[in-house]
Amino acid sequence: MKDEQFEKLLRDAAHTYHRPPEPPLDDMWAEIVERSNGGTGEREKGGATARWRSLTTWIALAATLVIGIAIGRTSTRSGTQSPKPSAPASPLAVAPPEPSLRLDTALSSPYEAETSKYLGQATALLMALPSEVKTGRADDQFLARAGDLLTTTRLLLDSPAANDGSMRALLEDLELVLAQVVRLQDNHSRTELDLVNQALEQRDVIPRLRTAAADLSAD
Amino acid sequence: MHGGAPPVKGAFDRTLLSLAASNRRHVTRPVVALHAAYRVSEPDLIARVVAGDRIAARELYDAHAPRVFRLAYRLTGDTALAREFTQDTFVRAFAQLARFRGDSALSTWLHRITVTVVANAMRKVKRFRERETDLEDIAPEHTDDMVDPVLRDRLHRAIDELPEIYRTTIIMHDIEGYTHTEIAEVLGVAAGTCKSRLSQARAQLRAALADLAPEREI
Repeated sequence: MKDEQFEKLLRDAAHTYHRPPEPPLDDMWAEIVERSNGGTGEREKGGATARWRSLTTWIALAATLVIGIAIGRTSTRSGTQSPKPSAPASPLAVAPPEPSLRLDTALSSPYEAETSKYLGQATALLMALPSEVKTGRADDQFLARAGDLLTTTRLLLDSPAANDGSMRALLEDLELVLAQVVRLQDNHSRTELDLVNQALEQRDVIPRLRTAAADLSAD
Repeated sequence: MHGGAPPVKGAFDRTLLSLAASNRRHVTRPVVALHAAYRVSEPDLIARVVAGDRIAARELYDAHAPRVFRLAYRLTGDTALAREFTQDTFVRAFAQLARFRGDSALSTWLHRITVTVVANAMRKVKRFRERETDLEDIAPEHTDDMVDPVLRDRLHRAIDELPEIYRTTIIMHDIEGYTHTEIAEVLGVAAGTCKSRLSQARAQLRAALADLAPEREI
């Protein structure tokens, strides 16, 4: 084959070999954002599935927020100066808030005790959530506990315990998480619970919850 | 937000970027110059992305995703795979952007990730799908540059069957128009190695077409 023939063939290949279609920029972007926030990248179709995916995403994200705040609270209590948080792993990822949670020093001890107790219960419930979901035991009793904690959360939000900005932010985050957990009551199928468990595992939430609990108990 | 540069409508910017991202042989200098005039400096954009600015992240994505997708598609020939690998590239890039030192152009860095992502993923694929010849799909854009469809298809198959290092090199150089320097940076080899690989790739393609060439006119 002559050189010019071969070159012509290669030039043709530039137009014909695996000729790319128009890139689906918006769809890809949506996937990238989702995966950067810990999703699987496999977008499911169907209203119910999509709704549950959204629900579980919120649960996991909010749980992660709680862990971050709890760890910050623990380190503040122990007198260690928390380093300035680094930039999130991905600019698209939802970063936990600055771990500056600290009970208002002027808070009276009854509120402090009640808030501390409540935080322990909330942490325990969120830690138990993955196993409850895994075994399909996210039953009415479990969800009722979530409902009770949600009520307590709202009461605390209206109390002096929420005077501190950081505490208010935590309570608001917990309100969101617990509201999402309570909503599990309306859609209780095994598949949906599996999706909750899958989402929590993929976000590495369980080990983080255990770490937070250990820090709190050691405090 | 734009460092004093005039604001750019998203669609307009994307149109320019789309043009710039198309085969560089068809990029006209005015288009590049026009876009450059409006473009936020890349280090500024990267800094904003690292600081968590999602709008900046989308800007960066819009600027580079078309070319990354093209490269991924050229290497895989599959829309779903190209899409997946483009997403993988940007997920990794955004996660590691804080560590990007600017030793090379951002595009080079992104394309290096793309080639790595594609190579790693394709190694796990047992074999490429059998190429189904669809003359409508591979019809050239320029009818005045028609070549024998059989020869064309044989060439495409021969490219598919090249060893990975040769295939990647010839796709990047002859199909996508990267320079040897760019390819060398992306693949992490010397420019001389890149030239050698291209020469080897072309020799193998010629050999693959040798039995057809004497009896057919291109």
